[in-house]
Amino acid sequence: MIRKILLPTIFAILAYGFWVSPDFKIIAAGVAIFLFGMLSLEEGFKAFTGGLLENLLRRTTDRLWKSLSFGVVTTTVMQSSSLVSVITISFLSAGLIPLIAGIGIIFGANLGTTTGAWLVAGFGLKVNIASYAMPMVVFGVILIFQKTKELKGIGYVLAGLGFLFLGIHYMKEGFDAFKSTIDLTAYAVSGYAGVLLFTLIGLVATVIMQSSHATLVLIITALAAQQITYENALALAIGANLGTTITAIIGSLSSNVDGRRLAVAHLIFNLTTAIVAIALIFQLTRGVDTISHWLGIADDDYTLKLAVFHTVFNTIGVLIMLPLINTLVKFLQSALHAKVRTMAQPRYLNVSSISLADTALEAVRKETLHLYDNAFDIIAGGLRLDPQAIRSERPLAEAIDSSGRIRSIDIDEQYNLNVKSLYSEIIAYISRAQASMTPAQIDDLFALRAAGKDVVEAIKDTKHLQKNLDIYRGSNNLSIAAEYNAIRLELATVLRGLERVRERGDDSAEVLSLDELKVEMKANDKGLLARLDHLVRKDLISAQMATSLINDSGYAYHVTKNLVKMGEVLFSSGDSGIRSAERSLALDADEMEQLLAESPADIEETP
Amino acid sequence: MKLKKLIKKAEAFLDSEERDRKEKKKYLKQVLRKLSKHEKRLKARLEDAANEEEKARLEKKLTLTHAQRKKGVRLLSEMAEQSKD
Repeated sequence: MIRKILLPTIFAILAYGFWVSPDFKIIAAGVAIFLFGMLSLEEGFKAFTGGLLENLLRRTTDRLWKSLSFGVVTTTVMQSSSLVSVITISFLSAGLIPLIAGIGIIFGANLGTTTGAWLVAGFGLKVNIASYAMPMVVFGVILIFQKTKELKGIGYVLAGLGFLFLGIHYMKEGFDAFKSTIDLTAYAVSGYAGVLLFTLIGLVATVIMQSSHATLVLIITALAAQQITYENALALAIGANLGTTITAIIGSLSSNVDGRRLAVAHLIFNLTTAIVAIALIFQLTRGVDTISHWLGIADDDYTLKLAVFHTVFNTIGVLIMLPLINTLVKFLQSALHAKVRTMAQPRYLNVSSISLADTALEAVRKETLHLYDNAFDIIAGGLRLDPQAIRSERPLAEAIDSSGRIRSIDIDEQYNLNVKSLYSEIIAYISRAQASMTPAQIDDLFALRAAGKDVVEAIKDTKHLQKNLDIYRGSNNLSIAAEYNAIRLELATVLRGLERVRERGDDSAEVLSLDELKVEMKANDKGLLARLDHLVRKDLISAQMATSLINDSGYAYHVTKNLVKMGEVLFSSGDSGIRSAERSLALDADEMEQLLAESPADIEETP
Repeated sequence: MKLKKLIKKAEAFLDSEERDRKEKKKYLKQVLRKLSKHEKRLKARLEDAANEEEKARLEKKLTLTHAQRKKGVRLLSEMAEQSKD
């Protein structure tokens, strides 16, 4: 209900304001241009998120001070704590960084965002900012029309900065003109009532504009035009800080439990900082006067003093919260629990990471690995083997001998329960994620999609294999039972081999060693054909059994081939260039045949 | 002369196909280096192999790694040819 009437109400208020005051129109246009500049800036930085930002973020997870510095630096450079928050949430949801690192980045972003006030108060108001804005917008827009992603990105950043400057200029002009018609300071409220009222106004303004930066610029320009009192401006800044958490909360709605924990950490930080700042506002104001005096800021330069205040109260927030960060993590982990998930529910796919190409790729990789984990249990079950026994160090032959008690599973039922819907979610996510990707990234994405298909194909081939395997593995005919148990052993070896390589995905040689499994299985298949004649001739197995065995050995080879193909794509933890190079070196079917032809010993060696 | 060189460099930079190729070459070389080290390690293990079974297993691994490395070297030389054209 509120949502339905909110937008028309805002429109009505703005329209009335435009009708009553042309100066208000200029101020509002300034805010709109400023916000458009922020959007453009975010768009520009997203063009560079395909690598640089992700690599930096990955390196900031080992130490808290690094996470904090990353938050400060990126927010200072990008002038948008919202973008940093959203990227951090999507990284957290994709499982790329731990919660403590995410919280560190958010604390840092709160400090970094204070540089905005310094830039506007120290630079934006002191020089004719519009004269810088015009060329930036012109050059920026020309670059946006270029083909390459990098030039486009630079264009968006340049145009974004231009629009930011232009927005500040209009806000300044508007307030200057406003001064001659209305004196807003007549509505100033002093004392704690004023602090609370203006904190609330700052909060609401930030929630509406979705940018504390825009609110802050509005406060600074109004303060410079003496349209609000210094005391009320400080309260507005506190409110703006509190309102900015809304962006993080909205960003976390679609994310998993870690994303929500981070948003709550952000809220706790800003709430604590706001409470401390409100409670100690008069002491803080005196402190700001002293610091400003040290820094050589004039007593009546209220805009720069506001920047000092903004920095001081956010620094206090960081100083209070930083020693409590481990307690905060523990509290968040105990207070916010992951929803009870079935095996089929996606764990890493998250709407907020769809537009961040590299993060989306990593999320798809991890989710497809999750799909494989589910498939692993089904394939092992189809072979009547205990998945844990395959993952252990126990000799596989022993695990096969003692598998008599393991019950048969319904592969169709298991597939519908644990694989089908997860696979559909991955496919849907891939379709949506490719919109923001480069051709090279789309290649990577398609390779991951093919890996998902390989997993599903492997399950289907296991299903075909299961029927005869269940009939013959315990047969009284020892020859056919031995052949089927040999197939079980071969596939169990493949599954174990895959697990071993998965643990060492950072080594390309290990990932490529997966081809050995294919060679081995092909050799086994050929070896079986050589033995079959002997078995039939000696009447050890019937012709019907021989046909089943030929078909099922083919299925086993396909299971292996699909799983190895999947492993070569999913297990490599190197970056996308390395993964692509590894894929290009894996041997195809013809090369495999050639290799086998060159080493015929393999065929004779197999049992 | 300097200007010509500069123009050539700028052309190479702006040619996205060539840039992609360079990038691919860089990663391929990295993987090939790893394979080469792996091959050396396998050879050393082969020399110390205690029994025939172990020896045969290592020989198979070695043959495969060598085939993959050969494929990589071929791809590299193909890319070098394309760059020349």
